Amino acid sequence: MTDSWQDPRSRRWRAVRGHAVLAVLGLLCVFPIYWLYATSLRRPGDVYSLSPLPWPLSWQSYADAASKVDVLGLLGNTTLVAALTSVGQLLTGLLAAYAFAAWEFRLKRVLYLAFVGTWLVPFQVTMLPNYVLLFQLGLLNTLAGVVIPTLCSALGVLLLRQHLAGFPKELLEAARMDGRSSWTTLWTVVVPNLRPALAALAILLFVNAWNEYFWPAMVLRRSNAMLQLGLRSFMGTEGDDWGPLMALAGLACLPVFLLYLVLQRHIVNAFVRSGLR
Amino acid sequence: MTRPRTRAGIALALGLALATSGCGLGSTEARQTPAAARVPELGPDQKVSIVFESYNFGQAGAWTDTFNELIGKFRQAHPNITVTAQKPQGNSANPATDTIPSVQSQLAAGNPPDVAQLGFSDLDFTVHQLGAKPLDDLVGRDAVQANFAGAKHPYAASARTLGDWDGRTYGVPFVFSTPVLYFNASLFQQSGLDPANPPKTWAEVGAAAAKIKAATGKDGAYLDCLTKEAKDWCFQSLVRSNGGRVLSADRKSLTFADEPAVEVVRLAQDLVKSGVSPKLAQKQGYEAFARGDIGMILETSAVQATFVKGAQGKWDLRSTTMPSFAGKPVVPTNSGASLFVFAGDPAKQRAAWELIRFLTSETAYVTISSKIGYLPLRTGLVDDPDGLKEWAAKNPLVRPNLDQLAHMEPWVSFPGANYLQIRDGMMDAVENAVYQGADPQATLSAARDRAASLVPGGVR
Repeated sequence: MTDSWQDPRSRRWRAVRGHAVLAVLGLLCVFPIYWLYATSLRRPGDVYSLSPLPWPLSWQSYADAASKVDVLGLLGNTTLVAALTSVGQLLTGLLAAYAFAAWEFRLKRVLYLAFVGTWLVPFQVTMLPNYVLLFQLGLLNTLAGVVIPTLCSALGVLLLRQHLAGFPKELLEAARMDGRSSWTTLWTVVVPNLRPALAALAILLFVNAWNEYFWPAMVLRRSNAMLQLGLRSFMGTEGDDWGPLMALAGLACLPVFLLYLVLQRHIVNAFVRSGLR
Repeated sequence: MTRPRTRAGIALALGLALATSGCGLGSTEARQTPAAARVPELGPDQKVSIVFESYNFGQAGAWTDTFNELIGKFRQAHPNITVTAQKPQGNSANPATDTIPSVQSQLAAGNPPDVAQLGFSDLDFTVHQLGAKPLDDLVGRDAVQANFAGAKHPYAASARTLGDWDGRTYGVPFVFSTPVLYFNASLFQQSGLDPANPPKTWAEVGAAAAKIKAATGKDGAYLDCLTKEAKDWCFQSLVRSNGGRVLSADRKSLTFADEPAVEVVRLAQDLVKSGVSPKLAQKQGYEAFARGDIGMILETSAVQATFVKGAQGKWDLRSTTMPSFAGKPVVPTNSGASLFVFAGDPAKQRAAWELIRFLTSETAYVTISSKIGYLPLRTGLVDDPDGLKEWAAKNPLVRPNLDQLAHMEPWVSFPGANYLQIRDGMMDAVENAVYQGADPQATLSAARDRAASLVPGGVR
């Protein structure tokens, strides 16, 4: 009796079916991105066309976007904010996770649960107090105002604490016996061994910060100084300006696409390690 | 053994989390402004800074550029007044829907904008909850009326009182539209209809829509008045044109389940059921029209630029006045927004008034209409060779809107702090009946009964 799992024809057929399903799903995922670039390449009068091929091609939407918003400024500001936010979250996350993993102290568990708790509090709840604080500090309408309240991320603390929980205590003990201070131990023993996890988390945090829309929209009332706000500025009561909107969205995707291509392995790794698959 | 400690720990942790997250919310108490003292004129060297919030600054291109240009001109005319422009804060795709929450949150932070552009649908809330300042008290009724009279071209009479409450002017109407029937003359010709003689009644619209559908296979008509997204300005116009209203004149009873409103919904439902009106959301509707896939659309002139862009070189775009219900007069209502003052400081209040005067002046309307395409509320400008005569000649699409101003009635705002729930509940019911086939009378009655308790001092 032939086991169907062993039969090469059956196996091949199963593989073909599996790949066909994946191909269809892949096309479904890619289609909105294709439509984005297709619309951005239509002539302004054709943006409402439902034709699958943008023909004749036109760069007019890109020119319109460049004339209506400061594309380079938006890219620069967004890169700066995303980089500062992700570095800040990484640093605070590392320090907090190190403290939770390496030391025993009173109320440690309660404090850790408090961090977990803040992760469960929706951002909409903290938005108004943060906004009032920024107003009192005179930081509304500044990029610093966008960055500062987001410098600490519960996600970063939780993920790094999980990684550090599995860190060999013997290494920390050995470093202590070598006479290294806790600070030196962190940077010379822990961080080098935690580099893959830190890299993966940094990418996740950067992409999160890059895509953030809600908070910058709250803080930056006097300008559309970040990409996601610049995108929104093509939508409004008087109708949506789809051509430049798609052109700018296409440009906004490129840096993250590039980052993904270069660091694809780390990003997948990050999702696997964080259990977010 | 450890369970109680763990529970206590979790409770403490959650408490800490909430405390550290901060849960303070602003007060929602009514704050209608009492009569304010007259604000003095600014001294020649008196420097004042004010903040102007408008959703136009949220939209790139002609809107932001034109308003920045106007603010620049204002600074030249008033070098002692510094104006900082900002868009409403919020995360809606359409900044115009963020206006009220934005002012509310800034009021909660103690830092409201000095001048804000807010919609007519929010008038009751703006006056009674947000505490907009009565302009008649701040600068005097004579000054307010003198501004309406203008240097050469007065405001359209029907537009003057749109920002009034109890006989006092709180807001100066700034930009608005009335419902206009745009139509695709190319589809009319293909269907054997005469584009020079567009439908005058809703019965004619139904017949023309059926012809278009039969001859071209394209959709006949779309009314951008029947979804929650469209708000209720245009629905109110349909109901008023059928002899009804959505709120009683004493503002105490909801009347949107009365026969005139039900008839309107039934008519719209019939258009959809017969297949001549497509089941589309607001944006899908006007984008399909811009694409040339719908014969007629009842729409605000605010999206006219979208139609012009879509039609260019492809099909013939024309417009006409809103159709009537047989034998009844058409009652157009207005969409749009007014300019309100929220400044508390007398010097800022005076500076805010100067900005409003400037933005509603003849020169400003010439700039706004010619660069953005908004309707000039100083209608005489369209016949003035030094004003917008040339622009109006080049833009015949604006004419129906101007013609309708003469018999326009205000877009009525619902009363109380829960006005949006009332409005949205009504429009949900309308949408449900028109596009989901629910029974119009039963659906509207149920919505009215649910909302009745939200009307302050209301009666069923």
